[in-house]
Amino acid sequence: MKKHSSAYMLLIILLGFCISEAAIANGSSGDISADIKVPFGIRHYDVGHAQNFSLQDIDGEKFELDQTRGHWVFLHFWASWCGPCREEMPAVQKLSEAMQDEKFQIIMINTAEDEDTIFEFLSAINVELNSLMDVDGLVTEAWKPRGLPTSFLINPEGEVKYQAIGGREWEKPEYINFLKQLLKQSN
Amino acid sequence: MFNFVPLMLVIANMQVVQPVIVKTAEMEIDFTPRTPNQMASFYEARGFPKEMRDVLKQQCFITVGILNTSNTKIWLDLSDWTFSVAGKALKREDRDYWKKRWQDMAMPLNKQSTFRWTLIPETLDYLPGEHEGGNIILPFTDKHLSVTATFATGENKQGKKITISTDKLFCAEDAQ
Repeated sequence: MKKHSSAYMLLIILLGFCISEAAIANGSSGDISADIKVPFGIRHYDVGHAQNFSLQDIDGEKFELDQTRGHWVFLHFWASWCGPCREEMPAVQKLSEAMQDEKFQIIMINTAEDEDTIFEFLSAINVELNSLMDVDGLVTEAWKPRGLPTSFLINPEGEVKYQAIGGREWEKPEYINFLKQLLKQSN
Repeated sequence: MFNFVPLMLVIANMQVVQPVIVKTAEMEIDFTPRTPNQMASFYEARGFPKEMRDVLKQQCFITVGILNTSNTKIWLDLSDWTFSVAGKALKREDRDYWKKRWQDMAMPLNKQSTFRWTLIPETLDYLPGEHEGGNIILPFTDKHLSVTATFATGENKQGKKITISTDKLFCAEDAQ
C-alpha cells in the first residue's frame, strides 16, 4: 500500500515531466485557415507531410496513418504516468462523441507502455477510446512532441497543420467550433 | 485539480523538499531536489529493470520547472547552464550520455524511451505563458550546488540574454 501511495505521489510530483498548465499564445502564421480563430493553447504548426507509421491497437489491429487521407486527424500522444494526460482523457472522449458524424478521426498513441497498462488505465478512467501502442516509443520520438500530452492536427491531404500544447478542454465549444470550421473549410 | 487524499497520506511518509524558486521579470524557474527513494519508486512503478534503478539511485535528481512569464520566446539550451560545487565545475550528463549508457547495458527500448521523457529537453523554445519541465541529473554530492543558466530570447534569439543563478541547490537524501 505504501509503495502504491508512493508511486501515486510521484505521479503527481513528477508532473513537471509533462506539459501541465501550458498557457500558450496562439500561433499567427498565415495559411488557408488564417481566418479561423485559433483557440487558446493551439498553434499553427506547418511542418509539411505527416510522417507515416504503422502500429497495432490494443485489439491487435494494424493501423497506418496514411489510411486516414480524406479526414482531419487528431493525433494524440499520451502515457498513463502523465497526470495531465489522465486529466485530459475525458475531454478527448467527449470530443470523439461530438465529432463522430464528421470526417474526423481521433488517433491515440500510447508512449512506451505495455498492453496491460494501457487497457487497465483506459478502463479505470472509464473512457471508450482505443489506442495504438508505440511499444518501444520510437514513433513518439520520431514525431517529437514537446511533451506529454501533445496533439497534432493533420489535414485531409496528410499535412500537419496545428499542434496543441499540453492538455486542453476539448469538449468546450471554442475547440469543437474550431475543429468544425476546419472541416467546413476543407469541404 | 488533484486528488488531495493520497497526496497527504504520502507526504506523511516521505521527506518533503521545498523547491528553490528563482524569478526574473521574464521567467520563473523552480528546482526541486528528489531523493533516491523517490526516484527509485517512480521508476520501479514504471517497471524499470533493477539494473537501471541501481544506477539511477546513485545520481542526484533535480526536477526543474520553467515558466515563461514574458511576451516573447525564451530559449532553453542546457549547454548554457553550468553547475559547480565549492567553485569547481560539476559535469551534468546529457541525454546522449544516458542513451549510450542504457544501450551499453542493453536495457529495454521502452524503458529507455520513458526515461528520456522524464528528462528536461536539452533545448526548447518556451512560448509566452508556457510551462515545461523535467529532470536534470548530476553526480551526487553532499555539498551545496550552484547553477548559472543563460537563456536567449526573442523569435530568432536576437533579444536580450537572461541569466539566472542560485547557490541554494543540493542533492536530496532520504531520511535515515
